[in-house]
Formats: sequence, C-alpha cells, structure tokens
Amino acid sequence: MITCKSCGKENQDHYKFCLGCGGKLEAGSVPAAGAPGPAATGPSAMEGARTMLPPAPAATAAGELQAEANRLAPKPKGGIPWGDSPKMPPVMAPFQLPPNPLATGNRGPRVPTSPTGTPALEAVLAPSAPAPGPPVTTCPTCGKPVQVGFAFCGSCGTRIGKAPSGAAAALGVQKTMYGSGAAPTPAPAVAAPRGRLVLIRPDGTEGGTHPLHDGETLIGRGQGALFEADAYLSPRHAEFTATASGLTVRDLRSLNGVFLKISGDEALESGDIFRLGQELLRFEVISPPQPLEDGTEIMGTPNPGFWGRLSVIVGRDVDGSAFPLFGDAIVLGRERGDILFPEDGYVSGTHARISLLEGQVILSDLGSSNGTFLRLRHERTIPNGSFILMGQQLFRVEFR
Amino acid sequence: MPGRPCPHCGTEVPADNRFCGNCGGKVEPAAAGPPAAKTMFFGANQVPGRAKLTVIKGEGTDGVTYQLNGTDHVAGRTEGAILFPDDPLLSPRHANFTYKNAKLHVIDEGSVNGVFIRIKAPMLLSSGALFLIGEQLLEIEPSPPDLGPQPDAEGTFFYASPKRPSKMKLIQRLRGGEIGMIYRSRAETISIGREGNDVNFLDDPFISGRHAQITMNGDGQVTLTDLGSKNGTFVRITEEAPLNHGDYVFLGQQLLRVEIT
Repeated sequence: MITCKSCGKENQDHYKFCLGCGGKLEAGSVPAAGAPGPAATGPSAMEGARTMLPPAPAATAAGELQAEANRLAPKPKGGIPWGDSPKMPPVMAPFQLPPNPLATGNRGPRVPTSPTGTPALEAVLAPSAPAPGPPVTTCPTCGKPVQVGFAFCGSCGTRIGKAPSGAAAALGVQKTMYGSGAAPTPAPAVAAPRGRLVLIRPDGTEGGTHPLHDGETLIGRGQGALFEADAYLSPRHAEFTATASGLTVRDLRSLNGVFLKISGDEALESGDIFRLGQELLRFEVISPPQPLEDGTEIMGTPNPGFWGRLSVIVGRDVDGSAFPLFGDAIVLGRERGDILFPEDGYVSGTHARISLLEGQVILSDLGSSNGTFLRLRHERTIPNGSFILMGQQLFRVEFR
Repeated sequence: MPGRPCPHCGTEVPADNRFCGNCGGKVEPAAAGPPAAKTMFFGANQVPGRAKLTVIKGEGTDGVTYQLNGTDHVAGRTEGAILFPDDPLLSPRHANFTYKNAKLHVIDEGSVNGVFIRIKAPMLLSSGALFLIGEQLLEIEPSPPDLGPQPDAEGTFFYASPKRPSKMKLIQRLRGGEIGMIYRSRAETISIGREGNDVNFLDDPFISGRHAQITMNGDGQVTLTDLGSKNGTFVRITEEAPLNHGDYVFLGQQLLRVEIT
C-alpha cells in the first residue's frame, strides 16, 4: 500500500496516481502499516498504469454509478450548493452514442460505435517531462515542485502564494514554452513530408498516419483513409499549414470544431467550448446588469458573485445543466471539486480548473488522464507532439 | 328635531349638539344634504367594499397605505397614483388596480418585470411562467423530445455530451436577465428550499427549509405548490387577475397586501 501524501488515501503499490485525489504517488511513499496488500495478485507494472485509466464503459456497473451519484454532495465554498442530492434512475446508459443512423447504408460514413473521441492516453502520453529550465519552488500542500510564477500547484491544484513575478508572468512563461516548441528546425529531405498526423485509437495504440506536406493540408471526411469513417467530421474540417517555421491548424468552420489538448493555462473568452472526458462544455461570462432605455432594470435573483457560467452542451443549440462560476477558482472533476460529472468515466477524479486571475478567466488541466481539449477559435501554431481532436478521433501531431 | 348618529359610537345625537352625549366625540353640524352620509364611516378614506393596498416590504415606504376608492389606480415608477420613484425594477407605468363588476383586479400594463401574486393553492404553470421564491426568480422549461441524431446539410453529425434524459429544467434568472444556473431534473418532481431539497439556495434568507415543489404530470403539465413556506411563492400573472382580501402582490421590489373591508 502507498499512502497518498495529498489526501491520505491508501493505494495499491503499483499505482502511479492516487485513486482518491488523482495526485501523483511517489514510489518511496510510506507504506501503510499492516495493510495486507493483494500484492500476489497484483498486475504487472504496465497493467498497473492502465488501471488508472478511466473505466471502460462496459465495465462500469450501473450500481457503481449509483453509488457515485449517492456520494455526490457538492458544497461549493461560500456558494449555493445546487442540487444537493440529485435523484437519478438506478440504471443508466451514460456512455451511449447516438445509434448508427447509417448502419444499413451500403456506403457512406460510419458512425463509430466507439464511445468517445478521447481515448485513454496513458500508454501514448509519456508524461512529457517539463523542461528542466525554469526555477522551481515547492507546493506547501503536497510538496511537489511548482514552477516559479505559477499560481497553482500542478499536482494538487492548491493555490500558491503570489510569486513575485505575478500571475501574468505565469501566463508568459507558458506562452514562451509554446514558442520554443515551434522553433525552426533544419529543412528535411526534399521528398519526405514535413510532418504527419498519427491516429490514436481508443485503446491508446496507434492506428495509422496521415502525411502533412509543406504548405496546406485539408482534413475532412473523404480526404483520406483515416477520415473516411468519421461521421462527426465535416467534409472540409480543418487545414494544417506546414512551413519551415512551424505548423499551424485552422478550423474551416466545421460543425464540431478542432480541439487542442491544452498543455498549460489557457485564457478563456466568453463562448469558448472545451471537452472534458465526453462532456462538451461552453464557458460564458455573466455581465453586470444594464438598465433598459426607460431606466427599468430587469428583475431577477441578486447576483451573489457569479462571474461566469459553464453550460453542458447536449445538442445543437441545446444546453443541459448550467453551473455558475464564482470565487477565485472552480474545480471540475468526476469525484472531487465544485462541478462534478459523476457519470462520465472519462473525466478524472479531479480534472480541470477554471480560475479568475486579475480579470482574466483561465482554464487549466489538473493532470487528468485524458486531458482537457479546447476548441480553437483562431488559426493556431501547434508544437510538435500536440494532441488534436477532430470529429470522433484523436491525433498526435508530429513534424520536423 | 331629527338627530343624527354619532360617527364614533353610533348614539343618536340631537341636531343642535356639537358633541355626542354618550362618548363625547365631536359631531359635525348637521348640514343639509348628502355630505352627512360621508361622516357616517370610520377611517375617513375607507369606502365600504373598496380596497386598500399596504406596502409590506419596499424601499423605505413600508407601512404606507393606498386607498383604492376610484375605478383605475395605476402603479409605476413615474406614472399613476401609486408611485415608487426609487424602484428601478418598476416600469414607468407598471400595473393597474381596477374594479370590474365591483371586484378588484390587477392588470399588468405591459411592464418589463411583471406582476406576481402569492399562490394560495397548487397552481398550474403555463410554459415559461416565472415564479419567485425568496429572492430567486425561477422558470421551468419542459425538456423537448429527443429527436435522435440529425445530420447537418453535409451529412455530419453533431457531437454533444452524452444523452441523459431529463423531464424538465429549472432555470435561475439573475438580475439583468442573465441565466445563473440550470438544474436538469430526471424526476417528475423538484423540491426547492434552503436545505435538504433537490435544489437548495443556502444563502437566500427569505427561503424556508422546505419551500416549494414542482411536479410534472404524465401530460407534461407542471404544477407549483408552496410547502407552507414563511414568505410564500409568487407566480407572474399572464392575464388580469382578481384580488381578494389578504392577497399579496409583488411589483418590482414592492410587496403589497390587499385589504378589503
């Protein structure tokens, strides 16, 4: 047994991350005294890593979900606990995709039966070791190293006391890392494509590549074997542009957009959309009330300090639940945090955070297994190794 | 010589007496004609069968009483006889208290924020009806039928969060018109209060522990029930509404009580 330093939960020896809080477990952690761990039956180290992946839909018993639902008791700090005890039907099919509408057709796009476009990444996402460059301080809560200038611990999410450089500097640091990722490299051999998209299957294995030659590459349904079967891809979906100075991607106003797995803090604008597990979420700013022309103000609940709202998109122009955002930061997760998605096995226990820093709204991933994906508004330079979600499929971007 | 009754105690007072022999109250000289009739009643302004409005909770006008002795009595921020110039939630001309067939009614004069009446029994809500619980302005929206996946013109399917069927949504409207939260209910009922309900407003001091309940029947009709709350549950009227003694009406921030003698 390894006892988590962050939350105290006991974890099996081969676990790399805490089941309770998702924090990284240190190999040298104090073993829990007298805990008769089932070491004999323990899986291999590789399998051990896999057990940390979100549960596969089929393996998730309805009863487990019910138990999770029952435990759900959010108490947002200083706020209003919306829906303290939501009632849920005992049996649900939370991972169902729309049934294949074209199943009987001879040809044409196939609606994938794969439950998600964000497959388990553990196997392919060798935790990209942060560059050893930036100076580091120590998180007061979990003791993990935190880059100077960061406002929150990347390991446990604790807010770090204001570093001298300030929060704005933290953003700057992040941004420069992007810049370095796109640094020019020597020109490759003439014929070889400059880069490629590597399809990542839901089980984490690679499933084929698509070349990215110099200049523009159009991605869409019908633009190559990898994209043939994805009914969630528009015919003209995205455009990659490869040059000696880097690679950019642009959404061609596709129906479902192009999502980039975020690797640092991302500033959110009102209307921005992102994916967390299977959840498609939209952030919006809540503006202060403005009187009408005749001086009348629109009646309503006095705003208790809400500065934003997070809506669950459940259909085209249809929203489901909406959660108010207030305070300094709101944590999103499956088990812990202010806004919970207990039924989405692809959401990590503690997954992401939306914070308000000096008037700017920041989205950060909290070391989730499957990542947080932001829908791109504008053409964007993407570093080598980025993960891009298009339609129902996930790709790793590689280029020289 | 014909006497007249004392306005205070009703004892017959001789015509030339200026004070009542029974109670000592002052008696007006017996002037000829109808004016004498007016002196018959206590509370010089209260006309029998007519109503008055008392401000229960407002912005500095608590306890003020408005006699509704005419036919139309317009209330608003800048127009009419019942004025609350400091309430920005009132439209310039907001509502009219009027008698129809000797019965008091209230009519929304096309105001922005409407007229709310405290419910005394479970009430069927029309679609989009707004209601007030404590300081919370809420709305129920029945969930639309699920049409299943529909491709766009190019044959592309829209990706959305996983389908989780729900019966209805409870929407919180913030001052200024923004939506605060949306609670999606899978059950046919939503209980609302401060603690231990489906939806809790912990920070709203005007909400009772168990305050109100929403129920949807098999036909999708929604009923709002007050669960014996202290401050009541108010529903925005969609047409002119009759008022009875003891009714409570919200106009903007003004809570008015109807008193009919």
